[in-house]
Amino acid sequence: MIEFDHVTRSYGRKVAVSDLTLSIPRGELFALLGPNGAGKTTTIKMLVGLLQPSRGAVRVCGYDMTRDPRLAHLHVGYVPDEPCLYDKLTGLEFLWFIADMFGMPRHLAAGRIEREIENFELADFADDLAESYSLGMKQRLVFAASLLHDPDVLVLDEPMVGLDPRSVRIVKDLLRARTSEGMTVFMSTHTLAMAEEMADRLGIMVRGRLRFLGTVPELREQMALETTSLEQLYLRITEPATDDVATRAESRDAR
Amino acid sequence: MSTARIHGATADTVRPLSVDAEARRFFRLRAQIAWATLRTMLATARLRLSLVVFLSAMFWGAVFGLFLEAFHFLDALHAEVIPLLFNAFFSSLMLMLLFSAGILLFSGLYCSAEARLLLTLPVRAEAIVAHAFQTALWFSCWGFVLLGSPMLVAYGVMRGANWPYYVVILPFMVSFAVIPATVGAILCLVLVLWMPKVRAHAPALALVAGCLVLVAIGWWMTGQGRVEAPSTTWFQQTLSRLSITEHKLLPSWWLSSGLLEAARAGHDPGGSLLEALSFLALLVSNAMVLQLLAAWIAKHVYRTGYSHVIAEAPTRRRRPLGWVDRMLSGSGSSAGRPLRLLLLKDLRIFRRDLSQWSQFVIFFGLLGLYFFNLRSFNYHTAYASVIGYLNLAVVGLILSTFTTRFVYPMISLEGRRFWILGLLPVGRDQIVWSKFLFSFVGGVVPCVGLVLLSDAMLGLPWHLVAQHEVCCLMLCMGLSGIAVGFGARMPELHEPSAAKISSGFGGTLNLVVSSLFILTTVLVAAIPVQISSLTAALGVPRLATRGFLSWAGGPQGLVASYVVIVALGIVATLVPLRMGLHAFRRLEP
Repeated sequence: MIEFDHVTRSYGRKVAVSDLTLSIPRGELFALLGPNGAGKTTTIKMLVGLLQPSRGAVRVCGYDMTRDPRLAHLHVGYVPDEPCLYDKLTGLEFLWFIADMFGMPRHLAAGRIEREIENFELADFADDLAESYSLGMKQRLVFAASLLHDPDVLVLDEPMVGLDPRSVRIVKDLLRARTSEGMTVFMSTHTLAMAEEMADRLGIMVRGRLRFLGTVPELREQMALETTSLEQLYLRITEPATDDVATRAESRDAR
Repeated sequence: MSTARIHGATADTVRPLSVDAEARRFFRLRAQIAWATLRTMLATARLRLSLVVFLSAMFWGAVFGLFLEAFHFLDALHAEVIPLLFNAFFSSLMLMLLFSAGILLFSGLYCSAEARLLLTLPVRAEAIVAHAFQTALWFSCWGFVLLGSPMLVAYGVMRGANWPYYVVILPFMVSFAVIPATVGAILCLVLVLWMPKVRAHAPALALVAGCLVLVAIGWWMTGQGRVEAPSTTWFQQTLSRLSITEHKLLPSWWLSSGLLEAARAGHDPGGSLLEALSFLALLVSNAMVLQLLAAWIAKHVYRTGYSHVIAEAPTRRRRPLGWVDRMLSGSGSSAGRPLRLLLLKDLRIFRRDLSQWSQFVIFFGLLGLYFFNLRSFNYHTAYASVIGYLNLAVVGLILSTFTTRFVYPMISLEGRRFWILGLLPVGRDQIVWSKFLFSFVGGVVPCVGLVLLSDAMLGLPWHLVAQHEVCCLMLCMGLSGIAVGFGARMPELHEPSAAKISSGFGGTLNLVVSSLFILTTVLVAAIPVQISSLTAALGVPRLATRGFLSWAGGPQGLVASYVVIVALGIVATLVPLRMGLHAFRRLEP
């Protein structure tokens, strides 16, 4: 579903993402972890077509994000870290705008909008202008909009920021349900507990390189720390002196 | 593209939109936003809306009256000049539209949250550019229509034009405006793609380029030495220099020629409506070809350009003015250090915010250019004195727009950072005083300089220069006091947008009070001097007049005007500041 093929992206002389090769199959929930400035946001921006790779290719459902961005976008839902809405549209109008942009037939769009309003409990404020929404309300609306067209791939950048515990529960349940139906989720997060609880596989990026790729048990196994928490593992692997583990992980990826 | 086969789970629910469907959806989006904005304004900002409508109507009426008189005057004396004036007017507007559309598009296409959203949707790049273009065209066009329509209607009334002339005015103006705006859009797209090193500074460079072009034109127009104003020599020289605007390849010439033909059609044997419509067709066809070209360019370069812009942004260096910061933070007593650090913070925010300093540079730069060009004429003293007072008022009014737009919201914008200021060993009074000092020092330097330039170019005597400078000082002080005082008295701590804060009730009130203060100050300064000039010009001995006029035109009147000006300045500074300080001390964020 998602393929990063030897992707590199530089900002001037600084390499933000270096030779990233990664493939995420249908129905997998993948969590990308890493310290600030590791290249997570750059990776996500390339995945949703905001940024083009300096080298390599990003493909979604077989469509190259640089060459066929429109066809690729038809399969993607995106929840950015800072929700972007039109202040002067109501929540309902925004959902209709998104449904129209995806070319959804009217009758189908009406049903989906109703479904997502119910799922994310938007009914109380769906007719208010977005300028009056709190951060959490905006985030719920963006989640609803991103799922309207039942995307094959859902990209989440720090998805739980601003959400209350009840909304977090709703999102987690929805992600589980949708991935079991075949949707692929690519999530960037700093919330290790959530990554541990939800993700099928983890990727840990440090200074533009993928230092680890695999499951939490595999990470424990590689670091020879059987009973350690993900937090401790994460802190160990993101330390500067863990090149040996990184090298092992990279060579395993290459195979 | 729309017929491409889609595979995957979403295949049965989504489809790429056709070009028409995308355009219709974006049109509906703009209509929804415009309607919601109007409804919000009617519900929450009636005073502002009424003021905008009233002032626009007043402005339109005044410009109409002015042009009607001017056309009658010119028609009687120099009818052949009118086409030349049309061409000069529209060619200068063409340049302004080009730059304003380019700058607005840069901001809409490369720096906005909306572009970030739209680029993640299955929409054509050219559709996003067209959407941003139409928004930019609307914003850059309203001034053109507000200024151009009264002139064209006045010409039609003077010429006795038939109804088809009035019908074609709007299509002519819109089709004309599309041409420079599209050229601006193409330049914006291409510059962003081809000039990687200047991408991050593109708006600033465009502004500088625009100002340089205007300076060059102004220099070229008036660089023939001093002449009597308004004299026949000057008139002839200016006309010969303007003839370049009559080039037949310029869209402004097509517009002028078409409208002049339309005005004459029906009652003048030389006029022909068909001829006028052929010029309209020329404008429309060129606009459409340029639109096609812009769409083709957008399709190929917009996404790549956007990608390059966001990849360039983090590498920008911001240290060229570090010495100013060090000087401000390191000098003076330790007791005054917190105040200086607050000033330093506001100075850094100002110079890193393009929207603030660019508007500052544009408005004061253009004003400086205008004042500098005053040197081209020799003035009669009385005439020069009137122009001097008008210039003083203009400087004040421009400063008041800045204090309303940027200084008034300063206290409110501290809202989200209030916890930082609250934890610092800085009193709330110091926060308010720091804003006042920032505004006063920032305003007084360019304003005093501009008034001095204006007076020097007009050749005014030293006692008038001194009076103008005192007035300017009081205006800067008073306007800063009003903006900071009102801002502290009516803060909106939960609103992050400075534009929204300044356009609310408090901002509008600030602008109205500031304007009244400026007009009162300038009138108080001007009345004694003008009475004195008038009595001297009429040859009436001062002692022969009696009562108020005699008193006001004499030395006592001048002294009294100084006293009133200073008193007005102090009251305008201290009363709002006192109100603001009082309210701000009790504020619970």
